[in-house]
Amino acid sequence: MTNQLAAQSTPLRDSLKLAKSLISQGQSAQALVLLRNHISPESDFVVQSRAARLLAKLPQGTLGLRPLRVALLASTTVDHLVDLLRLWLALCGIEAEIYLAPYDTMEQTVLDPSSPLYSFKPQLVWLFSVSDDVELATSPNATSAQINTAVLHAVERREQLWRILQDRLSCQLLQNNAELPVDDPFGQMAGTQGWGRRSLLRAYNSQLAIAAPAGVAVFDLDHLSAYWGSARWRDPRLWFHAKHAFCQDATGLVASHAARSVAAQLGLSRKCLILDLDNTLWGGVIGDDGVAGIVLGDGAEGEAFVAFQDYIKALRERGIVLAVCSKNEMTAAQLPFESHPDMRLTLDDFAVFRANWADKASNIRAIAKSLSLGLDALVFVDDNPAERELIRQQLPMVQVIDLPDDPTLYVQSLARAGCFEASSISAEDSQRADNYADNARREDLRLETPDLSKYLESLQMRAQVRAADDISLPRIAQLINKSNQFHLTGLRLSEPELLALDARDDYQIIGVRLTDRFGDNGLVSAVLLHHHNHVLQVDAWVMSCRVLGRTLEEFVANEIVNVAKHRGCRQVVGRYVASPKNALVANLYSRLGFGKLDDDWVLGVRGPEPRWQTPIAGQSFHNTRVRR
Amino acid sequence: MSNREVLQQRLNEVFQDVFDDDELAIFPEMTAADLDDWDSLMHITLVLAVERQFSIRLKAAEVGALENVGQMIALLEKRAA
Repeated sequence: MTNQLAAQSTPLRDSLKLAKSLISQGQSAQALVLLRNHISPESDFVVQSRAARLLAKLPQGTLGLRPLRVALLASTTVDHLVDLLRLWLALCGIEAEIYLAPYDTMEQTVLDPSSPLYSFKPQLVWLFSVSDDVELATSPNATSAQINTAVLHAVERREQLWRILQDRLSCQLLQNNAELPVDDPFGQMAGTQGWGRRSLLRAYNSQLAIAAPAGVAVFDLDHLSAYWGSARWRDPRLWFHAKHAFCQDATGLVASHAARSVAAQLGLSRKCLILDLDNTLWGGVIGDDGVAGIVLGDGAEGEAFVAFQDYIKALRERGIVLAVCSKNEMTAAQLPFESHPDMRLTLDDFAVFRANWADKASNIRAIAKSLSLGLDALVFVDDNPAERELIRQQLPMVQVIDLPDDPTLYVQSLARAGCFEASSISAEDSQRADNYADNARREDLRLETPDLSKYLESLQMRAQVRAADDISLPRIAQLINKSNQFHLTGLRLSEPELLALDARDDYQIIGVRLTDRFGDNGLVSAVLLHHHNHVLQVDAWVMSCRVLGRTLEEFVANEIVNVAKHRGCRQVVGRYVASPKNALVANLYSRLGFGKLDDDWVLGVRGPEPRWQTPIAGQSFHNTRVRR
Repeated sequence: MSNREVLQQRLNEVFQDVFDDDELAIFPEMTAADLDDWDSLMHITLVLAVERQFSIRLKAAEVGALENVGQMIALLEKRAA
């Protein structure tokens, strides 16, 4: 009997107890870190639900997370999901206020302009549909034309809802695709014939992904049900009893994936992977075993290390920045990269390579600093539990991945942590890793040239200033939502919200790209300008910290004055809204010579040009609007 | 302890876990009206937790029919391993 009761006092429940007592002592941020380190999507539902209620009791704003209004529209019962979604969003850095539309009123709620959905003004609407909602009426032996029409028609029904929502709200949408039901009267034929239900739903899912425009993200419910096991996805008792779309134990999986997807849309996903070397990228200890002695390439474990490196290399190619943090001599640590034939990663793949005997927390702080990244952008992978525990304690903002002691499980451990979810891949993303490597070389040059102005000139910088267009807008949205340090007002605007502003004549969105002799830095700065009453107001001004200290802010300030002149404004008005992370720009307007007037910083437009000196070359932006 | 008392004690542990209250003490006449958090959603969570703890599987009809603690104990007496 004691072993039965033991289920009630697992380590997880002990952490929950500890979190509860931390909260009662007013240490809610520590409680959140504790929960993040111990709760996984597949933890016992009861524990997740208790953790959710624990956080839900905190007064709004206690945790200092990013607020977000989320509307959930479902054809099935998802009340359990609401609690866990709030939990998982909090674990991803978001404090959600959630509106749940009444059961099975998805279409009515969207169509009725007076529905509470619209007065709630959600920033994100999740259309939680399931396969039962997808009407795909065809008969056995339907022609391929009939099949295509049925699929397109089903997708169009979704598109209509998207259009209405996007017209009436500036919000992001999350749209479920359809999970594949298991029990079908046609058996195998359901998936082997074009007209079979499973084939049709597969076609519907592909078409949905193709049809989703900017601002609409598809939520891959089909993948989650398959991952969970489609035979046990739906609990028929709960389906008939209360119309639960999936079994209760899968709720955490659904909630955590949705939360990661939403966090990615808000630019909260992580950017940099920090790797240990010995027993992480290869088996054995290079300093002891030598290049010939490490396990890599041959045998089950050797192949597994190669596969792990392949996976990391693919992350690097999609734009994740890589760094090494290893307790080793530098020469020994680099040896396998230089001479082992089965190494997949090369020294060029890493933006920072730190091998020394200092503690890893200091090394990780140094890595964050040299990459101009916040600790909350980092993921740390190490086979040594002691090192992981050290980082968890010293740097709780860093996400630490638990590696099991079998290297064949490394890939899934990293992949399933879901730390690098993205909502879109821009050209800048896939180039980012290169940019950081370029930056490391620029740092080297800075050391060679102690004179700052000579250094800046030697960079041969060119800026390109353009009004936002279809290609740059997603990147500008990303920059406005991801930037923390160089962000004057902290304003967050989704891509659809920016599109809506850009369509107005009294708004101007400008993106700035910067290249130099080491490469293209991509689109690194943006401003949102609002013209009213002969005043040009800077509603948002963001810049990537990769290009700090390059006088790009002076260059952009010149451009802002140019726009003001072209629009016949008399003044430029800026504002600094302090946040925990943007102290960097607290004195920017003062430094640029703006005068303080109440909460605003004001500059007269008349005066000699260019107003501020900068070695950056580039043609000025003229007030010719690029119409999309 | 009688078998019934043992079952009630084990069931009490499940209630304490689900309702996040270490002080919670169940009694046979106890219904959803006696516990603020015991709504229709928590009822499902509770029933699933009972299933797991006692290694049984209830029928949909049984899920809806369990209105008080006494009925749960009676059902467990019949079904639990």
